[in-house]
Amino acid sequence: MTMGTITRRHEVLPLDRVNEEITKRTEFLAFKLGDESFAVRISCITEIMKPLPITEVPRASAEVVGVMSVRGRLVTVVDLRPRFGLPARLNARLTRILLVDVGLEEIVGLMVDEVLEVVRLSEAEIEPPSALGGEQPAHILGVGRPGGVVLVLLDLLPLLAV
Amino acid sequence: MAEFGGGRGDNAGERAREEFFSEAQEVVDGLSRDLVLLDAVAKRGESDAELVNDIFRAVHTMKGLSGLFGAAMMSALSHELENLLDDLRLGRIELSSEVLDLLFRSVELYGKILASSRGDAPEPAAEVKDLLAALSHVSEQKAGAGGTLVAQYELDPGLLGVLTEYEEHRLRTNIQLGLSLYRMRVTFSLMTIDSALDDLKARTRPHGEILTYLPTGEGGDADTIELEILVASKVSLDALRAAVGGPNVIVAEVERRGGASVPQPDVRQNRATGPAAAGPAVETGEFSAHIPSNPPVGGARSVPPTAFRTTPPSAAAMSLAPPPEEHARVSLAPHGIAAGPDGKDLSLRSVSQTVRVDIRKLDHLMNIVGELAIVRGTISKLTERVRGQLEMRELGTELHRLHRSFDRHLTQMQNGILEVRMVPLGQVFDKLARIVRQAAREHEKQANLVIAGADTEIDKLIVEELSDPLMHMIRNAIDHGIESRDERMRVGKPPVGTIALNAFQKGNHVVIEIEDDGRGMDQKRILAVAVKRRVVSEEEATQLSSKEILNLVFMPGFTTKDEATALSGRGVGMDVVKTNIGKLGGVVDISSELGIGTKMTITLPITLAIISVLMMKIGGQTFCMPLANVEEAIGLDESLVRVVEGREVMTQRGATLPIVRLAKFFRIDDDAVSQRAYVVIGTLGDRRVGFVVDRLLGQQDIVIKALGKSLKHVRGFAGATELGDQRVGLVLDVAALIEEVLHHDDNRLAGVFGARAG
Repeated sequence: MTMGTITRRHEVLPLDRVNEEITKRTEFLAFKLGDESFAVRISCITEIMKPLPITEVPRASAEVVGVMSVRGRLVTVVDLRPRFGLPARLNARLTRILLVDVGLEEIVGLMVDEVLEVVRLSEAEIEPPSALGGEQPAHILGVGRPGGVVLVLLDLLPLLAV
Repeated sequence: MAEFGGGRGDNAGERAREEFFSEAQEVVDGLSRDLVLLDAVAKRGESDAELVNDIFRAVHTMKGLSGLFGAAMMSALSHELENLLDDLRLGRIELSSEVLDLLFRSVELYGKILASSRGDAPEPAAEVKDLLAALSHVSEQKAGAGGTLVAQYELDPGLLGVLTEYEEHRLRTNIQLGLSLYRMRVTFSLMTIDSALDDLKARTRPHGEILTYLPTGEGGDADTIELEILVASKVSLDALRAAVGGPNVIVAEVERRGGASVPQPDVRQNRATGPAAAGPAVETGEFSAHIPSNPPVGGARSVPPTAFRTTPPSAAAMSLAPPPEEHARVSLAPHGIAAGPDGKDLSLRSVSQTVRVDIRKLDHLMNIVGELAIVRGTISKLTERVRGQLEMRELGTELHRLHRSFDRHLTQMQNGILEVRMVPLGQVFDKLARIVRQAAREHEKQANLVIAGADTEIDKLIVEELSDPLMHMIRNAIDHGIESRDERMRVGKPPVGTIALNAFQKGNHVVIEIEDDGRGMDQKRILAVAVKRRVVSEEEATQLSSKEILNLVFMPGFTTKDEATALSGRGVGMDVVKTNIGKLGGVVDISSELGIGTKMTITLPITLAIISVLMMKIGGQTFCMPLANVEEAIGLDESLVRVVEGREVMTQRGATLPIVRLAKFFRIDDDAVSQRAYVVIGTLGDRRVGFVVDRLLGQQDIVIKALGKSLKHVRGFAGATELGDQRVGLVLDVAALIEEVLHHDDNRLAGVFGARAG
């Protein structure tokens, strides 16, 4: 997978500068895993939170970080970096957990290294997965380039449905 | 946990719908119970008019309910069913097994329709259509029978005209059954007639049926009234007298006319005690004279005492048939039993004093209690700290007192909520009775279900989850256990098989036994099938104990029936039963004796939500083990540990105990090697495993929460709980661990179980 990276945050097109009139736009939340940038539809995110103490679950698969309790509710925290072959970041100061609900009867916590911001993309602005070259897995929705920065758009359902 | 209250409850229409569902469900449950009773009555060759009436009323209520909520399918079904029941009630059709089947099918369909309205299942539209057709078919068949029966009576057509159809039917039925007719003359005080009449009815009921009653217009003064009551009964005059007699009661037998026109298939009543007969003509008159249009069932309450004064003296019971008009004047209550206004009221009024609560709301409350319990722990620590400081001692003492009070009330609240969640097992047992009947019919086997302990209470969630496994086990008992009638007779057993369902509480557990007196489980056959289906290899087969052989039926893919039957061969095996029971924290044991029968024993925790656990540290991480599975905890003496066949064991109380080092088993980095480890002995049925842990932290009551779906495939954990420091502690699934440990290491069965343990 070849991907560009966002090196300077201000290059991402801020919300207020988007021309609302063009077409129907979908909102995505951009975040970093390792040094690469991804985005998921904002509609599936219920909350962004700082990490709480996480309890490891022995024998769970490598991408399961563990479980944590969010106001009395158990949340399984998942880290997609091993899946994407990305190294862990050393600085955990910016680490966030996205609570996502993709209709799997449970809220999953998605651990990300940094939350960037919300971008709005019209359908015309989303390039097909083939833009990344060759066959791409089902969880890649496409590529967006707000402000010239490459964002890999992810579909979380195939990623989280084990 | 789903949202509490919130959007769902705010919408009044939605709430009303929910109430409709639960009320409808209640009616259906009641219907189901009554049908089982009716079936039993019919099997004895008897009839129970009151029961048929109850069923009729229930269906009528369903009709009203479904009409209100625009449930078209249910409404249509109720309508046809009501017609059928009306015909049954009025004797236009007989309670044949065909009719009974239709009734049972209807109840089942009600259940399906309800499930589909809740979105749990597809709409059973085709089934409803089939059943509607079948119902109307039966209704059409009735036509002839009713007319000929009436014609056999040489009753004055004018008199017949004033009988309600129901009264006529009851009179006919009772005569057909060969019961004796009695008339009672009773004087009531007008002040107390309501209660006194009820009292009399209650005393009469065990001995016979009150067909009708009517004021005599005689013997009464301004404050009293004399009623003539017609009773059909199988007891002798003396017995009836003894039962209902009193200073104001005169009981006499009504002689039967000996004419051939009255059908007397079974004349066995005791006539000897009856008084001398009056002439036939007079008797005919008696029958008719006693039959006003008042409904005999529930009629008394609807007729105010003063109403009797309007009765003309000429309506005296002993006279010949008075002209119909006079009867018309007596008739104050509407025709038809509860089908009238009473029935309609029923559908609009709430019947009981109870409140129905969504189980999720209780879950929510339980969570809050769990969080309060955590607060309690923190307060306790703070209190201790305050008490430790000399200058704040007074404050500390006060805090301590408050904490104790808080603790007590919280415990009460916890118990209170738990209690509310408890429902009697009878809820699921009733459904099973229906299954037995249906299954037995399909298989042309006869079996009775004997239920004991239906009032044993268990958590509502467990009851819900139990119905499928229990249903499967009962079906198995009929399909594989109970022999055919001929076979049973050949081996000297009673032709009708028995399935006993027995529930009782045992400590913090509920035990449910399912026992049949069928052919028992043939170990040789089980082994042969297990080998054939490659559940075990031939060498393994020779080494299994008889208990292990019986337990093979719980293995995936095991079935002894060569072809799948409609009953139990639906691809769901005993392995699913075992898994489902296991999910509830329960275990299933089998014992069976060839030719004598099989007994399955299910042991379940009373509640799922709050459990007592032993807190422990394993490799620096905190875990909880349910106390229900802990036999004891002892210090680990490394010198006692030996290795046998690659497995660590120690001898404890003269028995060999396999041990597992959980830190190693879970691959948790154990940086601080504990100097003093413990062995916690976990049990599952009679199997024991020693779990080596680093430290014991004590005992605690916790609210257990299920792990998310994405962790479902991770074996060994029953759930998790909050520990109070924002951290989460995992709760060990001792049953799964023991099974995994024993099977995984068991060389003899390694091939069988290895894959599952992986």
